[in-house]
Amino acid sequence: MARLADLAQVLRSKNAGALLCTLDMMFEDDATYRRVLDSNAITPRSIAALYGLSDNEVSVIPYDVAYAIKITIPRLHASGDPADSDIYGAQQHAPLLGIEIPD
Amino acid sequence: MPEVRMMATTGMLGYGYTEQAFRRGLEQDLDFIAADGGSMDPGPHYLGEGIPFVSRQALKRDLSLMIEAGIERNIPVLVGSAGGGGSDPQVGLVREIVEEIAAEKKLSFKLAVIHSELEKSYLKQKRGAGKIHPLGPINELSDDDIDESHRVVGMMGVEPFQQALEDGAQVVLAGRATDASIYSAIPLMRGCDPGLTWHLAKIIECAGQVTTPRTGQDCVLGTLRDDHFLVEPGHPDKRCTRMRIAAHTLYENPSPYHLVEPDGTLVTTDAEYEQIDPRVVKVSGSRFEATNQYSIKLEGVKQTGFRTVFIAGVRDPVLISVIDDFIASCHQRVAGEAETLGIAADAYRLNIRVYGKNATMGPREPVTETAAHEIGVLVDVLADDEDTSKAIMAKARYALLHTDFPGRKCISGNLAIPFSPSDMLVGMTYAFNVWHTMDLDDPMEPFSIDMIEL
Repeated sequence: MARLADLAQVLRSKNAGALLCTLDMMFEDDATYRRVLDSNAITPRSIAALYGLSDNEVSVIPYDVAYAIKITIPRLHASGDPADSDIYGAQQHAPLLGIEIPD
Repeated sequence: MPEVRMMATTGMLGYGYTEQAFRRGLEQDLDFIAADGGSMDPGPHYLGEGIPFVSRQALKRDLSLMIEAGIERNIPVLVGSAGGGGSDPQVGLVREIVEEIAAEKKLSFKLAVIHSELEKSYLKQKRGAGKIHPLGPINELSDDDIDESHRVVGMMGVEPFQQALEDGAQVVLAGRATDASIYSAIPLMRGCDPGLTWHLAKIIECAGQVTTPRTGQDCVLGTLRDDHFLVEPGHPDKRCTRMRIAAHTLYENPSPYHLVEPDGTLVTTDAEYEQIDPRVVKVSGSRFEATNQYSIKLEGVKQTGFRTVFIAGVRDPVLISVIDDFIASCHQRVAGEAETLGIAADAYRLNIRVYGKNATMGPREPVTETAAHEIGVLVDVLADDEDTSKAIMAKARYALLHTDFPGRKCISGNLAIPFSPSDMLVGMTYAFNVWHTMDLDDPMEPFSIDMIEL
């Protein structure tokens, strides 16, 4: 078992427009990327559970050429709404850090 | 097909670039120089107020070198989303700076200013005709939304840039534009491959962000050829790596394979990335799929009231242990106090965030018990006028400072308040209420061009 935080080289979040938040994880090499991808630990269902969403609100796109997995979820509030707390959406990645990836 | 060479000076006009990289870039036989000037990332405030999120001095510095070099070499200088959001006052400010530069440097040239701010009557007409659609998780646009909006811009594609250039503009200041349109306009006019053009444009518009090491913004050079393009940094000490270039389509997009523009979609599924020397990356295989329906993005904001903020620390462990209940009791107390002032419950919005607990992620925060020995309380009040905003904040501050809680021993005050004055009036705030697309038969329809002889 390893935590995603220890496997990923980049784990970031950012707005994709004012209504969506996109979470990117990037790995150093193809082997680590494949290990995470093939573990099936990163799915719309697992991400939905982490963020309190329904499966159909989550998109997960593997991006082989950059050894990356992209996740897009709706923002809790539109960027800059009175209730918003993260205008750039740059600090919404933390729940991903603890995802367990089997050996 | 001709080779087209371009330089992106900076990912954001006003974020800067080094003169060393810029001068080195100019040694190449450039076809144009450009920079993106805007983003909605800083939130709705700047579009609402019609002000830039960078300083006037920084805008002038970045523009000055570009315009002088462009006029001297007789190559176009393009700026998109001028002033941050492309609204009339933002574009107007950048125009004023360009006029100042022309006067100070005694430069004479043709300037095109492209407007992208839209009238409510025009939006209503389009909405009525069924031409406006939600872009993502947002409601259908209503006439009420349009009435409530304070400022709305349309995001142009390449066509207004091309029109301005055909009319003889040497410097183009465009209102809100897609980042990639700034860099695609000229290559597409010259018949370059649209897939390669849009892909290069998408990579280069963030300029220094695609280079290593990332030591601030700087110039990036792009060369478009028949069947590939090249990307390299302007600065001799920086590099473009295959990985950084390939990864760039991930940035701020919902999908790295499909990037939507007004007249179609850039598809990078079959793109290949090759490191041809330590500093230069070659890309091929990108495609562009044209759409049947030309469609632009709309961005608009409404006013959400005058904000007052207040920040304080809590170090008392008992209070930290009961903070949620405590804050609920303060909300109640403020509601009662507001009533005594004749302020209705719906005339203000009081928000109390607890840093050190769940202020960043709110209900999405998976950690339920804070381990912090101190927490930060950030209070903000929104109201229709400044006096109400300040009055509610004064009551909220008093409530937080002096309300009892179970086990309270710190009866002289619950908060460490770092500033005097403690309540900070921020001014008017805004929220996005238009985030839609609008179908167009004529890509030029919402945009008008002023040509100015300087």
